[in-house]
Amino acid sequence: MTARTPPKCPPQGEHALLQKIKATLGDVFIDHGVTPEGHLCVMVKPEKIREVAATARILGFDHVLSLSAMDFPTEKKFLVMYVFASYLTPGLENQLLHVRTEIPRDNPKINSIADVFPSADYEERECHEMFGIWFEGNPHMGKRFLLDPDCCIDEKTGQPQYPLRKDFKVPDWGLMG
Amino acid sequence: MSQALREFLLKKAKLEKVFNWGVRWSLWPVHLVTSCCGVEVAHTAGPGFDAERWGVLPFHTMRQCNVLLVEGTITRKMAKVLRQVYEQMPEPKYVIAMGACAVRGGLFWNSYHVVQVDTVVPVEVYIAGCPPTPEAVVRAFIMLHNKIKGKPGPGIEPVKVDLTPYLPQPKQPAKSA
Repeated sequence: MTARTPPKCPPQGEHALLQKIKATLGDVFIDHGVTPEGHLCVMVKPEKIREVAATARILGFDHVLSLSAMDFPTEKKFLVMYVFASYLTPGLENQLLHVRTEIPRDNPKINSIADVFPSADYEERECHEMFGIWFEGNPHMGKRFLLDPDCCIDEKTGQPQYPLRKDFKVPDWGLMG
Repeated sequence: MSQALREFLLKKAKLEKVFNWGVRWSLWPVHLVTSCCGVEVAHTAGPGFDAERWGVLPFHTMRQCNVLLVEGTITRKMAKVLRQVYEQMPEPKYVIAMGACAVRGGLFWNSYHVVQVDTVVPVEVYIAGCPPTPEAVVRAFIMLHNKIKGKPGPGIEPVKVDLTPYLPQPKQPAKSA
């Protein structure tokens, strides 16, 4: 990747939540850091994501604010990014918990957290049709959710194409008007 | 009006001028607001510009209107709705594509899910701008007046521009000496 690509995890630092997560979950992190806004960001292995989500539930985070992915075609990886937030828990008003994990690009599968956090259901379905990531355990995988049923289908093979991947090209690419 | 009666009135009784005069001064637009241009149309119909001086009365059902004012981005899902609305309108009917989004996609011009209005329904008048001012909307209605009168003045037509040479090109492999 070029030098302009931002790092996948911000620089390391001390954070009060980090000790709490370590106390319940053990040291499962590949990397961790603190964003400039003061939010904790942890990178975990993809098979640990359900345990991390359950731990975030215990710590008081009650919804998934955002769930999206980033495509790294040269590294052949997807970076799946979860952001947990809390409405009601005292002490977590201005806190966000970023959880990131890397999965291979040719077989993008990760466990669903929709039963732990129901608000992640729609986000997973959107991420599935935009990036082709298969969230195992979510019953809506393999269906169209936001996209038109006729759109983004490969004409030769009939397979769906994923428009937010970096190798996706619109048919009239470069023609204005 | 049945087709035979219409033929008789327009051709035999030479009432075409009267017919066009009536159509011209009662252009009732129905809105298809999918983005911010709707605000400008509200302004056009308000007391400041008072488009009813040209017979433009914003109305709320497509079955009683004769102008379809497309205001905003038309996605592939919305294109079906646009076609349905167009088919429900009685003859004679005219379509005005308002704003950069409706004309050529605007901000979303190279997207996987945005269509151009003139590929779905026949467009009579285009309005340029993002968003167009109320004066531009009034001018479009006057252009439509002139078209119905049979004396179309200078119109606005979108052009096709090939931007492929200006896109980032894939790097050429270094030639071995």
